[in-house]
Amino acid sequence: MLELANVTVQFGGLSAVKDVSLRMGSDEMVGLVGPNGAGKTTLFNVISGLVKPIHGRVLFDGVDVMHEPDYKRARLGLGRTFQIPQPMHELTVRENLVVAQRFGAGRVDAARIDEILELLQLTEQAGRDAATGLALQELKRLEVAKALATEPKLLLLDEVLAGLETQGKRLFMEKLREVHARYRIGILIIEHDIETISSLCPRVVVLDFGQIIADGTPQQVFNDPAVIRSYTGVEHA
Amino acid sequence: MNQRNFLFAVLLLATYVLVPAVFGDNNYVMGLIISALIVAGIAIAWALLGNLGGMVSFGHAAFFGVGSYASALLTMKLGWPVLLAMPMAGLIAVLFSAAMLPALRLSGPYFALAILAYAQIFRILATEMDWLTQGAKGLSRIPTLPVLFGIDLGSRSGSYLVIVTLLAAFIACYAWVRRSHYGTALRAMHDSEQATRVVGVNSVMLKAWMLFLSAFMTGVIGAFNAHTINFLEPDYAFGGGWSVLPIVAAIFGGYRTLSGPVIGALCIYLIDQLLFKSLLPTGHQIMLGVLLAAMILFAPDGLLPLFRRRHA
Ligand SMILES: Nc1ncnc2c1ncn2[C@@H]1O[C@H](COP(=O)(O)OP(=O)(O)OP(=O)(O)O)[C@@H](O)[C@H]1O
Ligand SMILES: [Mg+2]
Repeated sequence: MLELANVTVQFGGLSAVKDVSLRMGSDEMVGLVGPNGAGKTTLFNVISGLVKPIHGRVLFDGVDVMHEPDYKRARLGLGRTFQIPQPMHELTVRENLVVAQRFGAGRVDAARIDEILELLQLTEQAGRDAATGLALQELKRLEVAKALATEPKLLLLDEVLAGLETQGKRLFMEKLREVHARYRIGILIIEHDIETISSLCPRVVVLDFGQIIADGTPQQVFNDPAVIRSYTGVEHA
Repeated sequence: MNQRNFLFAVLLLATYVLVPAVFGDNNYVMGLIISALIVAGIAIAWALLGNLGGMVSFGHAAFFGVGSYASALLTMKLGWPVLLAMPMAGLIAVLFSAAMLPALRLSGPYFALAILAYAQIFRILATEMDWLTQGAKGLSRIPTLPVLFGIDLGSRSGSYLVIVTLLAAFIACYAWVRRSHYGTALRAMHDSEQATRVVGVNSVMLKAWMLFLSAFMTGVIGAFNAHTINFLEPDYAFGGGWSVLPIVAAIFGGYRTLSGPVIGALCIYLIDQLLFKSLLPTGHQIMLGVLLAAMILFAPDGLLPLFRRRHA
């Protein structure tokens, strides 16, 4: 239900994304990996309407959304998080979710908000000021909670697992699986750690210098010589 | 009814009854109070735009002037009843404020400059379009407010009741928006517009609504003023004072609060008229500028909130 066709993004002389085509179904959990600067976040920005590609199309549920502004795409069911958390300032944690629900999902349902808070272990923090009262990991969970509150059909997660220690990561991955199953939403997740992505996602897409260089099961992808080359290139850089 | 609303109702009732009962016979005092409340009305509209919309306007004189002229012309040229012309004048001010929409994408200082220029354009238009506005000569004998339910709204006490009613309606509307989900989203937008948009908030539209609401209120106040003084000329109706006084008032009283602009307007207008004017008969507005600059430097949240905090 998400389809990218020949998407190209240019920043000045730099092609951040080059002719990317990708399809994913609403029941999929797909990993998006690639070295720093590969264009992963830019691709998310294209999907959610924050960056205009110079070429290509984005289709969501069969509808061309290229001319829909960012806020409309959110209402259509495209939820996203930011790599650097962007809480809504001047609001409490709960108010962040209420605004997301009211405007993104077009309804008000306090029980559902409680459920999301509980799921992301933010119940205790619900009354805190979102901009100043949370630790980094809590902010990352708030990113996911906000996106969930809009009741998305597709969730774009930008490195929400980064920086967690093993135990925390395992727990968060469990949550994501639960979200995927319980709310029946597709998830496209950016993550650097190969082990994490392999255990979480049956399908992995690799981006390098703005181009897709591999797409398949973790097994296939991480044994692909081109991927190994791009990865080792970065590891030793 | 919660405690706040109850307090508001009691205060309102006292304002309705007590002031005319005490000062009703004194035209000078009633005139001063009405003028102060006119400034208060614009100050509320200005604070709404600043607080909820996140936009600082130096051009509310434009909406005030458009409202004044619209209502005067509707009643004089088309024979509309005053009480119908006034809300219509508000809507016409909204229509004209729509010309400001492209400026909504500008950030703070640029928006402020754009709206400043915008106000000047209207003053010039009102002067040049003399076939409609009689240019610099001005419009005189603008109809007064009518008699309604046996109350002469054109009298000082009657006008007072009208302006208090308008202010109460504005404050109630402002309070409602602020408390609603729109108010929450607007609050969020100030520092995190992108984060707010990606959860489905049409931020430009919400800001536009605040501009419209603010322009409407200011236009209605302009119309009210036109029908109470019965005379208009471009330099007066679009005068910079209608932009500056409300800002000073709102900041003085605390523009983040609902009552601040009103209290601020009463203080500032009376200080200006009774003190500054007698000290500096011409150019007393300079003192307001100095006061404003001092407040922005030393107490950006207003003087009254500062006072309240000290004694809390
Ligand atoms: N708004 C922008 N203006 C100019 N260049 C940009 C902009 N956003 C991204 N870029 C550049 O585009 C390229 C891709 O950036 P992007 O953030 O998409 O990479 P990424 O794959 O998300 O990397 P990381 O793993 O570090 O988050 C980089 O070279 C980056 O510097
Ligand atoms: Mg990135």
